[in-house]
Amino acid sequence: MLDSILVANRGEIACRVLRTARAMGLRTVAVYHHADRGAPHVSLADSALELHAEVPTAAYLDAAQIIAAAERSGAASVHPGYGFLAENGDFAAAVEAAGLVFIGPQPEVIRLMGDKVHARAFAAEAGVPLAPSALMEESFEAFLDAAAGIGLPLLIKAAAGGGGKGMSIVHDAADLEARARTAMSEAERYFADGRVYAERYVEQPRHIEVQVLGDGRGNVVHLFERECSVQRRFQKIVEEAPAATLPAELRARICEAAVKLATRANYRNAGTVEFILAPDGEFYFLEMNTRLQVEHPVTEMICGVDLVEAQLRLAGGEGLPWTQDAISVTGHAIECRVCCEDPARDFLPATGRARVLREPHGPGVRFDGGIREGQPITAAFDSMIGKLVCRGDDRTQAIDRAVAALGELTLLGVDHNIDYLARVIDHPAFRAGALHTGFVTEHADTLGAPVLDADARAAVVIAAALGVDDFRRLAYDIPEPYASIGGWRN
Amino acid sequence: MARLQSSIQTGSADFRRHYTHNRALAAELHEKQRQARFERPARDVERLARQGKMMPRERLEKLLDPGTPFLEFSTLAANMAYGGEAPGASCITGIGMIQGREVILCAHDASIKGGAWYPLSVKKIVRCLDIAIENRLPVVHLCDSAGGFLPLQSELFPDKHMAGRMFRNQSILSKLGVKQLALVFGHCTAGGAYIPALSDYSVIVRGTGAVFLGGPPLVKAATGEVVTADELGGCDLHTRVSGTCDYPAASEDEAIAIGREIVAQWDRPAKWDIQRDPIEAPYYDPDELYGIIPDDIKRSFEMREVIARLVDGSRFHEYQPAYGTTLVCGYANVWGYKVGILANNGVLFNDSALKGAHFIELCNQNDTPLVFLQNITGYMVGRDYEAAGISKDGAKMIMAQVGSHVPKFTVMCHGSFGAGNYGMCGRAYDGRLLFSWPNHQIGVMGGEQAAKTLTEVKLKQLERAGDAIDQATLDKVYDETLEAYQHQLSAYYSTSEVWDDGILDPVDTRNALGIGISAALNAPPLERGYGVFRF
Amino acid sequence: MSTSFPFTLDGQTHSLTIRARRPALVVEVDGRCYTVSEDASGVPGESTLLIDGRPHRVARTRESDRVHVKLDRTTWSVAYEDPVTAAQHDAGGDDVLRADMPGVVVSLNAAPGAAVASGDVLLVIESMKMQINVVAHRDGTVENVHVEVNQSFDKGTELVSLHPST
Repeated sequence: MLDSILVANRGEIACRVLRTARAMGLRTVAVYHHADRGAPHVSLADSALELHAEVPTAAYLDAAQIIAAAERSGAASVHPGYGFLAENGDFAAAVEAAGLVFIGPQPEVIRLMGDKVHARAFAAEAGVPLAPSALMEESFEAFLDAAAGIGLPLLIKAAAGGGGKGMSIVHDAADLEARARTAMSEAERYFADGRVYAERYVEQPRHIEVQVLGDGRGNVVHLFERECSVQRRFQKIVEEAPAATLPAELRARICEAAVKLATRANYRNAGTVEFILAPDGEFYFLEMNTRLQVEHPVTEMICGVDLVEAQLRLAGGEGLPWTQDAISVTGHAIECRVCCEDPARDFLPATGRARVLREPHGPGVRFDGGIREGQPITAAFDSMIGKLVCRGDDRTQAIDRAVAALGELTLLGVDHNIDYLARVIDHPAFRAGALHTGFVTEHADTLGAPVLDADARAAVVIAAALGVDDFRRLAYDIPEPYASIGGWRN
Repeated sequence: MARLQSSIQTGSADFRRHYTHNRALAAELHEKQRQARFERPARDVERLARQGKMMPRERLEKLLDPGTPFLEFSTLAANMAYGGEAPGASCITGIGMIQGREVILCAHDASIKGGAWYPLSVKKIVRCLDIAIENRLPVVHLCDSAGGFLPLQSELFPDKHMAGRMFRNQSILSKLGVKQLALVFGHCTAGGAYIPALSDYSVIVRGTGAVFLGGPPLVKAATGEVVTADELGGCDLHTRVSGTCDYPAASEDEAIAIGREIVAQWDRPAKWDIQRDPIEAPYYDPDELYGIIPDDIKRSFEMREVIARLVDGSRFHEYQPAYGTTLVCGYANVWGYKVGILANNGVLFNDSALKGAHFIELCNQNDTPLVFLQNITGYMVGRDYEAAGISKDGAKMIMAQVGSHVPKFTVMCHGSFGAGNYGMCGRAYDGRLLFSWPNHQIGVMGGEQAAKTLTEVKLKQLERAGDAIDQATLDKVYDETLEAYQHQLSAYYSTSEVWDDGILDPVDTRNALGIGISAALNAPPLERGYGVFRF
Repeated sequence: MSTSFPFTLDGQTHSLTIRARRPALVVEVDGRCYTVSEDASGVPGESTLLIDGRPHRVARTRESDRVHVKLDRTTWSVAYEDPVTAAQHDAGGDDVLRADMPGVVVSLNAAPGAAVASGDVLLVIESMKMQINVVAHRDGTVENVHVEVNQSFDKGTELVSLHPST
């Protein structure tokens, strides 16, 4: 059993980890950059050490300073949260080299899963389905044959590149050769490497992931799946568990695949195996995240577990807390990521100050926050400032509770996506479970801010005007009998 | 406090006749006011528009807090003077609210002869500054005046209460710590230049605002210097160089916005905290006043019916209800403020005069403002009454009234004739405000009475001289006297001469009194003490 | 005609004024009247607002020239311009910048035709051994620069003029 912990993170996840650690009686240590002084995670820990860096994010990426802080504070273990150093194998190794417990998988597993090519190969070996693909090795003709064998539609892209350069989608077999040649020449031009790569293109894919826990001794359990199909700018904004609609047999196969992969990796601690699910029911390995996910609370709420507690117990040398049979799903949970950004301007990150922050409450409502009222919101960190998680007996109840809680959640002083999230989850297509990763784009027309009529606009400006002293005084500070006589003229 | 019981029969023939008559008088008043306020030659309106200027009432409305009252004084000043050339005496004065503060507003009206001051303009402006002094009300001057109307200079310049008194009053206000703001929208010429110069704050509009002792024509005549108004006394000269004005404004709107912000900086000194109760509307509809006021100046009416339509909840605590019954005295509330009311219900006799004097003393003892409702033909005359000391009893009432330290308000509800005017706080008696109703008439005596008296005097002259008594001559004296009196007795003549602070539609009386009392409480009580009462 | 206050929501400016206060507050928005009453919840910045009898939950905070409002379930940001600034905005302000004191031009930062924003440094002058920035008092376009570097000037000299705004 661990007796102390340093949380090498900030914001809501640092708070999340610290709360469980405190509840388990661990001595807790926070680290923070000057920009985060006064942030909730700093005061939540028993002690807090400042990290120094010009750029605030650099502080939380500075492995040496963090390990030094752990040693200085006498913390026996380090929890990396997510992001920053969470999937840095060298960091995990350095933590362990310093004689501390790294709360996460083995460094080599982190490195393995962090390398996409090796991870794919490892998954293939484990018998986990991969999207059919073909890589041009020597012969262009051989590549064309192999690509044609994958079936349509196809995504062709530069083997060496990214960012959409040289990428095209082939819907018609007749176009394949011409598209492949174009892709080759673009690949040559942009990356000085003419090799191209073809992969089954999944239209309207869903993002399904499986939560796993391993003890590092070959034992792995899964805690069912989560659906994270609603994304913007390739980042998840709404997640739920279980998946919106998933046949039991398919769900079993997906979970089984995840367990297979984790078992083969001799996985230790919490991890997530991500899949792409095609409309035809085929699913393909995407990647494995070797850490606690942002969206882990939806799993906690339907399984009735505390994943951070499980992480700490596993790191403390205890075995898996549950057998697979003991884990079951009750109800449905939805998470909405609250981000300071402007949905009307392509989700551009917003800055300001959280002048008013009122968190929602109610049955099945959980708000994992990481800022305090009055805190500045700068561009230095990720725009996500908290997560609203709501559980219901079924999906509809979970959605209803989340819509209501988003209505209650008040954040004033900085642009945010709270209203937008409510429109997303209250959207008929979302309620119908018609999800895919292009959901936000597909429904952009109906997800915009509502157009207010004159009376509704009047209500808004009246509410605002009564918040302006000039106007408020005029409304309320007119003495009698003037106030009663009103606009009389003789 | 018990509610007064009205015995008015709204269905009665008298009520209907009075109602029709007085509604017509009120309509006539409103029409005259509309003309005085808004009827201007198109050429003057166009000139102001060309200069980018607002009409003065537009400025006022923008300056006042929205949805608050403006109690305008003497709207019909000069309505029977100068051939009707100077409606409102070319200025607008009144009490209004800016940023929650009660202020006097005094706006020159450049849509009339460039805002030139006629003798009655000076009288009206001096009067509003007197009100400011008496009530310690800050003043906002809206300057836009060509200066004194030169053809009538002898009637507006030399005497004690003429033009110089404006600047004397401004100085006194400042000495009393009462703030003044001048918004210079147009010209402040000659003496007018002292208005911004003597104000604590001033804002001047670039392009149209100008302040100078001598305008360009006078300068050219005096020294031969050719200079534009803007160069001579414009915004930039006065805000950058001379320091005569404080704030430059690029537009009238900006000047008004700056002005409102200046007033918002002013402290709000504590007011005299007299007795106040929750506000209650009158139980009886004030509209019924039209049916109560008679259609003949010689007809008396029950003043309690008037009180019932002015005061909160129509409640009235009558003092000495059985004694001196021609003067109704008692306590009531107006817009929550406790007041003592003295109302004429007939000729003043010895007992009514003594009752009035005593009640005035009670109100002073109690710090209760006084409201006089006049409908008076005078104190009773005749040997018995002189013998009973009617003169010394009337004198007691005047002595008590003049010695009051509480604010006094007078409403001319009907006739005001003879010495009764004095005891009942006529214009000479420093009431804080005095208003008339459209049916009001005022004079030493009524028209017919005067005509009879003068015809009697003429007859005596003829008899003494031994001349033949010519009935035609006597008739001529009678008719001419009556005609002259009818003209000069009318409320419109009275208000034209600024003998009052304006004619009120009777239904507006309660509001006017409420604002007047509220304003009066800005000043501390006057010095306490009385002179010698003759017993 | 009476004083009104401009509030801008999503680029559209609404004109607000007060029509009455008793028996209830009446606020006029673009010519339409609304009866308003407010019940403070006890939590600062939060209240229940009744507009024409319809209740709304309101939380709000003012940040300089903006008011952030949560009305019922939606969040809005409303811009407010104080009346003096609004009037200056409308009027454009003076076009000419003059020297407040005698001095020498150290540097010129704006040339005729340049678009400048309020607060931009137009030139630097030296006076009484102090270097002083002369800044644009409003947005606009430079019409003329009346002085040169190293030129000395007296108090009141025109330094820069902006194109008159309309």
